[in-house]
Amino acid sequence: MTVSGGRAGTMETRSDLGQRMAALAKVVELGPGRVDPALIAEAGRLLLRAGDRLKLSGEHTVVALAGGTGSGKSSLFNRVSGLELSPTGVRRPTTARPHACVWGIDGAGPLLDWLQIQWRHRFARASALDRGESQLHGLILLDLPDHDSIRAITDHEADRLIQIADVIVWVLDPQKYADAATHGKYVAELAGHEAVTVFALNQADRLAPEELAECVVDLSDLLKREGVQHPRIVPTSAATGRGVNSLKSVLAESVAGRRAAVQRLEADLDRLMGRLTKVMPKAQTMAVQPTVDLARQEGLTDALSDAVGVPAVGEAMENVYGVRSLDWVGWPFARWASRLRPDPLASLRIGNLRDEIKAVTAAKVSAQPAEVENAVQALADGLTSGMPEAWRNGVRDAARSQVKRLPEVLSGELSETAPRLDRVPGWWRLLKVWQYLLVALFAAGLAWAGAIVVYGVLKLGKAPAELLGDVSVLPWLGVMVVSVLGLGLLSAIASRNFVVLGAGKERDRLERDMRRRISVVSKDMVVKPVEQELQRYNEFFAALAAARR
Amino acid sequence: MKSAAKKTEYADEHTEWSGGMVTEGKDVPEALEEQTITFQAIGVDDDLAPEGAPAGNGKVPAAEGAADEAAPTADPTADGAGETAQAAEDTDRAEEPPHAVESADDSEPSAAAVEQAGADGTDGADVANSADKSDIAEESDIAEVSAASEVLNASEVLDAPEVPEDPERTASAEDAPEAAAETAHEPTAHEPTGQSELTEWSEPTEWSEPIGLAEVSGPVREVPLPKPVSRALTAALSNLKNSVTGLRLGLDVPGVEDARKAQAEILAQLENYVIPRVHMSTAPALVVVVGSTGAGKSTLVNTLAAAKLSVTGVRRPTTGTPVLACHPDDREWFAKGEVLGGMIRVDRPGTDGTLESLVLSTSERLPPGVALLDTPDIDSVVEAHHEVAHRMLDAADLWIFVTTAARYADAPSWGVLRRAKERGARLAIVLSRVPVKSRDVIDKHFARMLQEYGLGDVERFVVNESVVTAGRLPEEEVAELRMWLTELSVDDQRREQAIQATLDGVMSSFRARVPALARHLEAQVAFRAELRTDVDAAYMAALAEIDEVTTNGSLLRGEVLARWQDFAGSGDLMRTLHLRRPGRLTTKASQQAPARSRAFKQALRAALESVIVSAGQRAAEEVVNRWRQRDGAGGRLAASPGLGGPSEEFVRRVGRTVGAWQEHVVGLVRSGGVAKRSVAKLVSFDVESLALVFMIGLLGYGSSEVAETSGTGTLPDRLLRGVLGADSLRTIGTKARSDLRARISLLFDEETLRYVQVLDEAGIPDEAAAKRLYQATYNLEVAR
Repeated sequence: MTVSGGRAGTMETRSDLGQRMAALAKVVELGPGRVDPALIAEAGRLLLRAGDRLKLSGEHTVVALAGGTGSGKSSLFNRVSGLELSPTGVRRPTTARPHACVWGIDGAGPLLDWLQIQWRHRFARASALDRGESQLHGLILLDLPDHDSIRAITDHEADRLIQIADVIVWVLDPQKYADAATHGKYVAELAGHEAVTVFALNQADRLAPEELAECVVDLSDLLKREGVQHPRIVPTSAATGRGVNSLKSVLAESVAGRRAAVQRLEADLDRLMGRLTKVMPKAQTMAVQPTVDLARQEGLTDALSDAVGVPAVGEAMENVYGVRSLDWVGWPFARWASRLRPDPLASLRIGNLRDEIKAVTAAKVSAQPAEVENAVQALADGLTSGMPEAWRNGVRDAARSQVKRLPEVLSGELSETAPRLDRVPGWWRLLKVWQYLLVALFAAGLAWAGAIVVYGVLKLGKAPAELLGDVSVLPWLGVMVVSVLGLGLLSAIASRNFVVLGAGKERDRLERDMRRRISVVSKDMVVKPVEQELQRYNEFFAALAAARR
Repeated sequence: MKSAAKKTEYADEHTEWSGGMVTEGKDVPEALEEQTITFQAIGVDDDLAPEGAPAGNGKVPAAEGAADEAAPTADPTADGAGETAQAAEDTDRAEEPPHAVESADDSEPSAAAVEQAGADGTDGADVANSADKSDIAEESDIAEVSAASEVLNASEVLDAPEVPEDPERTASAEDAPEAAAETAHEPTAHEPTGQSELTEWSEPTEWSEPIGLAEVSGPVREVPLPKPVSRALTAALSNLKNSVTGLRLGLDVPGVEDARKAQAEILAQLENYVIPRVHMSTAPALVVVVGSTGAGKSTLVNTLAAAKLSVTGVRRPTTGTPVLACHPDDREWFAKGEVLGGMIRVDRPGTDGTLESLVLSTSERLPPGVALLDTPDIDSVVEAHHEVAHRMLDAADLWIFVTTAARYADAPSWGVLRRAKERGARLAIVLSRVPVKSRDVIDKHFARMLQEYGLGDVERFVVNESVVTAGRLPEEEVAELRMWLTELSVDDQRREQAIQATLDGVMSSFRARVPALARHLEAQVAFRAELRTDVDAAYMAALAEIDEVTTNGSLLRGEVLARWQDFAGSGDLMRTLHLRRPGRLTTKASQQAPARSRAFKQALRAALESVIVSAGQRAAEEVVNRWRQRDGAGGRLAASPGLGGPSEEFVRRVGRTVGAWQEHVVGLVRSGGVAKRSVAKLVSFDVESLALVFMIGLLGYGSSEVAETSGTGTLPDRLLRGVLGADSLRTIGTKARSDLRARISLLFDEETLRYVQVLDEAGIPDEAAAKRLYQATYNLEVAR
């Protein structure tokens, strides 16, 4: 592989990783409140780390020598670097601070700063001086403190660097290679990282060849059981130098590819996505209709209409108009007759309640808050069946986001359109005038007839006018009086029919109008937030799928 | 010996003291030389024989009911012996015949032993004194020879109680099954039934096991007497055991896993170690070798045993099955022993190598009285090993902690050391695989670390890194350690001290561990109470909310308002009242009225229902929210399906409830309406409609924006007052409201029940259990 080819490959994987990281960023953005906060926090940390690492030198590969105390990390470090850089010893634990050795110092500074390696623990190998070691150019070798001694309980330096190094070389030894401290917390957890993990079985000199073989086989089996499919195991001996060159060549391979950093981040991302997948169902099956369909909107409008009482309002209007119109357009004689009937209210001495009862109709249309709430709840329940619990709550909360204000808004909106039940249309007044006119005519006719009887029939005096004494007018007059009466009755009946007819039409119009307004309000205050949430839901799962690759 | 004699003198007066002598009788035929010594020693007590023998007679029937077979011999001692021997037959099933044969030639010294045994018997069943030997003589006719030949057995059997040091109880426990036979001699006076005897002693069950133990009692040697165990201590321990056993830790509060583990640990330690150990002599001591994987535990054990008993190798972890190595003499003791009773004894590690089994192997090179237990590691990837190792430690008399030059700073190693320190266990540390050239540096460094940790005075052995052949180190590497073990084997006092120190340490550790358990239990109780409070609070809030909505008139909106307007505006309200006058024309409007008032009633009902349903919904969500905010179990319980909303039945139930309430109100109005006779003469009213008006008034008609309050009260109020009278209206109002409240409360109670059920399913912590634990701990402290 040529260097340029390697770079091109790196760029490609980098952009691929970039896309996945962008998707992960989306997940982090949309996830809070819906996903376990610990996972979101970890995703956030991974994003930060990925951003940092990708910004820093891609020419360098950070290789960390990790392992338990006494396994020979420092000895191996010194062997690989060829210098006594990191103090070794028999006292446990020996190394307390991480040491770094850089092959090709140019541009490594910021990376070392980021790794938080102290200045006095940084060493550089000018690769020009080491002929035959040019393949290690770009290597930053870290000698970590142990992670399993009593000191490590309070010091998480090793842990920190294990989490961020590009390549981990686990330095094991025949005594400690199966320690739970190494396997449980790290190796098994990072089983997907085999591309960036090497196992060095150090202190191989302590074993006879056949023992070493047995040991390697056992270690390999153990690693496979933990999920490391193809473990790279290099037997080494820091004491005799055996196997150190093999290790170097394995490292050189990683360094030459310049891909370890990306591979490491990819592996971390894969692991995180694996954990996310465990708590989140598969994305493919989770996509939902991002809009609230018409049938559901219709259902919501119906439910809200019921909460406002639209049908009841229409009915009440029709009935109340019918009854109230009697006062205006009814036949006055019938009204006067009904007044003569005894009043139960009056007999209970609460006669003044009659006006109050009439005043009942003055109240405006309003919405019932509890029913509004239930209507919104029903919509949310219908939409979210099959969603994960957290998202179901999200949709429900979105639907309810304005539910406190909704009854008020509905009431305000509708009272504009709904007529007051106590209003009086102009033609009622006209008809009232007309009815009284007829009554007056009737009265006049009666008076005229009376005059004719007095002057014409009984001849009690001289008629002041001729017509008043003319008996022959009397039958015509009778016809007129009767027809005035009849006209009054007829127009009362007719106009009542008009009132009823008009009220019926008004009711239809009113109901349509109210429903329209309700649907506008509900769309604005309920459906829109819900659709936003559904959108967010879809985006989240799309991002999850994208980040998963 | 001196102490034994002294105690025997007191035997009749203070039965409890008699336990002291027991140890002398620890004779086993396999070690005849030692037996002799023992018998001679007992011979000192010869002068006590006359006292002891008759007592023995009395005792034996009590224990055995075997008197009919006893020989009518002249010598009371022999007589007693014969019966005692008989007693042995039943108790000592497995080993009796060979013993009998072997001991035949030993009959002379045995006689003395029998006396001793007889004395024991007397102490044990002082009660039985009255059963004089003549009684027995009548009934029995067995050959003197056979009696003599079985003497040894008798002594053995009666030695049995010796181990638990308190023969009187042992005897009584033995008595129990044979109580029926015993009544032949003592019809009424003593121990008429086994049961009464059993109840008299506090813990009879504890004692049936030590008997079994005694049958395989170890070699006899001059062992210092174990401190007599008081009845109180036994009772306290078993009380503690019962308290811990009965503990149920149901709720997942934080730390419940630790608590469950602690519970299992304490229990295992009580059963496997403490309870057996307080009743046993101090030999043999169980020395548990524990340490990291690859530290060389197996190699060390093999070297000390001078045989490849435990597998060694380069594979990690190496040892999967614990291996117990002891002197051949101690084998029987461990084969049937109480210690680690839960583990299956096998002869060699099987291919399956389950962790539940224990390999028993022997080696002549090991000093008697000291057994080594090679354990699985404490820190390998196989986590089951850690658990087994810790279980072994819980049963250990002494700990040998093995670490290496590469490992001595490992966190798990120091975990074991901390545990040892906490438990106050007697500990020896072996620093193994030390490179010779850096031996001093490492040793000093390690010593300093130990010093800083407060373990500076622990005995330490350093083993150099050397070539392992056939799973063994060169002998000189372990010479020091072997010396130490041998000293333990020989120096009884030292061994006893070590064992006692560990035992004391364990019992002292209960002082902290058991109350910790109790505190956890209390936390559970408190946690459950909190969760319960959450439920109640949420539903109380819902109820309060309904109360408010149903009084401030906000219910009278939407459909209810429209229906009310319809009802009042169309004149139906006026038609509710009729003057009593026959022959009134029925108009079209009044025919429509029922339909309208029905719709009005329906609307009212729907509104009330919706208020209750939405309150119920919110209460359910509130509960789940509150539970989620609690740690641990709260979130898990909140996730149980269906808790986040009202139950399926809820809506239907609400409908029924509101309907029933409406009917109730109609009934109230009907019965209340009768009150005002003056009105009834004038006006009749439609009860249904009037009840609707009443409900409107009750639900706060006047206080909403629906109508302005006039000086004299709201419309429904005044109307109803006119019709029903003020007093009657007030009464009905109060009744109707409290009835509504009661009905809704009932409804919510049913909802609450679902949460309570979930809580109950998760486990109900017993509030008294914590107190019992504290009490048991206190009792144990007092008893010690």
